[in-house]
Amino acid sequence: MKLLIVEDDLEASRAMATGLTEKGHQCETAGDGEAGLRAARDGRFDVLVVDRMMPRMDGVTMVETLRREGVKTPVLFLSALGEINDRVTGLNAGGDDYLVKPYALAELQARVEALARRRELGSVQTRLKVGDLEMDLIAREVHRAGVEIDLQPREFQLLEFLMRHGGQSVTRTMLLEKVWDYHFDPQTNVIDVHISRLRAKIDKGFDKPMLQTVRGAGYRLEP
Amino acid sequence: MPRLFRTTPFRLTLLFLALFAAAASLFLAYIYIATAGEVAIRTDERVSREMASLEAVHRDGGLAALNQAVIERASVDHPMLYLLTTPDGVTVSGSIAKSPIRSFSGERTWASFTLTDKDPDGAVVRQPARGLEERLPDGWRLFVGADVGESEFYVNRILRALWGAGALMVVLGLAGGLLISRDVSRSMASLNNVIDRARGGDLHVRADVRGSGDEYDELAAGLNDMLDRLERSVGGLRHAGDAIAHDLRSPLTRLRARLEAGMIDADAGRMDAKAALHQALEDADGVLRTFNAVLAIARLEAVADAPGQTSFDPSELARSVAELYEPLCEEKDLEFQLETQEGLKLKANREFVAQALANILDNAVKYTPPGGAIMTRVRRRSSGDIEISVTDTGPGIAPEDRARVIERFVRLENSRNAPGAGLGLSLVAAVARAHRGRLELDEGPGAVDGSGPGLRAALVFPMAG
Repeated sequence: MKLLIVEDDLEASRAMATGLTEKGHQCETAGDGEAGLRAARDGRFDVLVVDRMMPRMDGVTMVETLRREGVKTPVLFLSALGEINDRVTGLNAGGDDYLVKPYALAELQARVEALARRRELGSVQTRLKVGDLEMDLIAREVHRAGVEIDLQPREFQLLEFLMRHGGQSVTRTMLLEKVWDYHFDPQTNVIDVHISRLRAKIDKGFDKPMLQTVRGAGYRLEP
Repeated sequence: MPRLFRTTPFRLTLLFLALFAAAASLFLAYIYIATAGEVAIRTDERVSREMASLEAVHRDGGLAALNQAVIERASVDHPMLYLLTTPDGVTVSGSIAKSPIRSFSGERTWASFTLTDKDPDGAVVRQPARGLEERLPDGWRLFVGADVGESEFYVNRILRALWGAGALMVVLGLAGGLLISRDVSRSMASLNNVIDRARGGDLHVRADVRGSGDEYDELAAGLNDMLDRLERSVGGLRHAGDAIAHDLRSPLTRLRARLEAGMIDADAGRMDAKAALHQALEDADGVLRTFNAVLAIARLEAVADAPGQTSFDPSELARSVAELYEPLCEEKDLEFQLETQEGLKLKANREFVAQALANILDNAVKYTPPGGAIMTRVRRRSSGDIEISVTDTGPGIAPEDRARVIERFVRLENSRNAPGAGLGLSLVAAVARAHRGRLELDEGPGAVDGSGPGLRAALVFPMAG
């Protein structure tokens, strides 16, 4: 997919572009908010990765301007400011996700891909399908190959997020943020335990394990 | 212009003086018109009455009787002036030589004039006077006048008194204004001096509070309070900076050593470079995690009150965090219990409290051996404080170590092998402090079957309001 990286730290920008290009994305870069605004106006990118603090025009102003002009490209804010209020400001300005520096490349990649996917899906869905796994969001039911799987409410939410991002890597932090709405980093492997419980429910008795661990990144639900 | 004259109180004094002077002038004018007018009217009445009486004499006894009367009245020491002249203007009798009325109209004519006289000492006395000239039926002219000096004298006295009072008022007003201005500028100068020094970086400086309780004291007290807070928060930030630098030195040193060792190992062929890089990356992640934790603690320590506080149900929060940890307990074969009270309200930063509880649960899970139990409890104490506590059946913390584990990076000897940077409880304590609460560490349920005595960690938030 086509990404625009708007970041004034050229070293960081280059590292990001290298890493994301390696993962098969096309990256362009802009050194400040004004250049970013010019490049992003025509909406040809799938995702914008925007640093919050930049010379000439900061990231928040740039994204606000884009949104006013009707450009709906998903935006991932990067920031050294991680306080709750900073995050809220960023999301209110029209950002779709917020990643606090420093971050691992795998985290950035997973979030960028998640944002692009969200745009692809677009309209509201009532049924999700990944491989032979099906989820009915209205009846709150999950079937794999026709067999109903009984899930706790949180397990249902967790699986829903994984299914919406089927085939993509999602990180533990993403799960903690999007499923539990916590923005801190637990010291123990709490997420892993939830995943292994879910895995026991959806993969047990089936030949092909769907919920896979991605080393150094997180998890992926394989179709 | 001297500084004093540019002060606000002095300008206000001048303004009030001007207003006062204008009012006083109007008042003076009124007094003058009222008294002087009154005197003129009374003199005119006296003159008219005298004229009427002389005309009556003339009517009854003719010119001779009139002449006689004029001579009589002029000869005695009468306060009035008389002059009887023939139609040709020749003086017949009277107390003055010449009519002061220059342009006689031929009918009754009134005039004001000045009477020049000599007092017994021979000094010239000038006195204002009013007079009336009348043409008698046979063409003779009769003048009657009276000096208004006596009454005028009082009017002048009043006028002089009023002018004197006005002058005194201006002088006293100016002097008072100067005094007030000087006092005010002194107070302001001392405050300005404090502000200047604070601006120059000296945050220890404080303004004098004189104890008079006036608005300057209030201003000085407000300024001092502001400086107190500023000094505290600058001090807090400085402390945070020092702490971060100090706390990161050892993990960074470790990272460097590992990189160096990895390089040597890779050179010697004992380890490939990729593995060394992997190891370094993990170490770097560890340093970043530590950095984030230290920064979070330092930021919390630098503020008096946690930002972003909202009112929420602590039981609901505990349920949500417990739900996150329950599977972990099951996995480790730990019994997990949650006990909550309904209808509680806590005003705090929800995210911080959730993180604090998560850290306590993290520790409990980490240190409680399999087969043990963890109990999370939310309740309102009889004092009204809200308590969120976690009790485990792990080894606990010896009483003498309890204060120490809250310090950053302190890890007790027997926990050396468990993962974690040793920042968990310091963050919990910082969260408690940022909400004016505290972290209490006590013994758990006691020693049972070789394990225990356990730890009871309680986050206590003071009663709202």
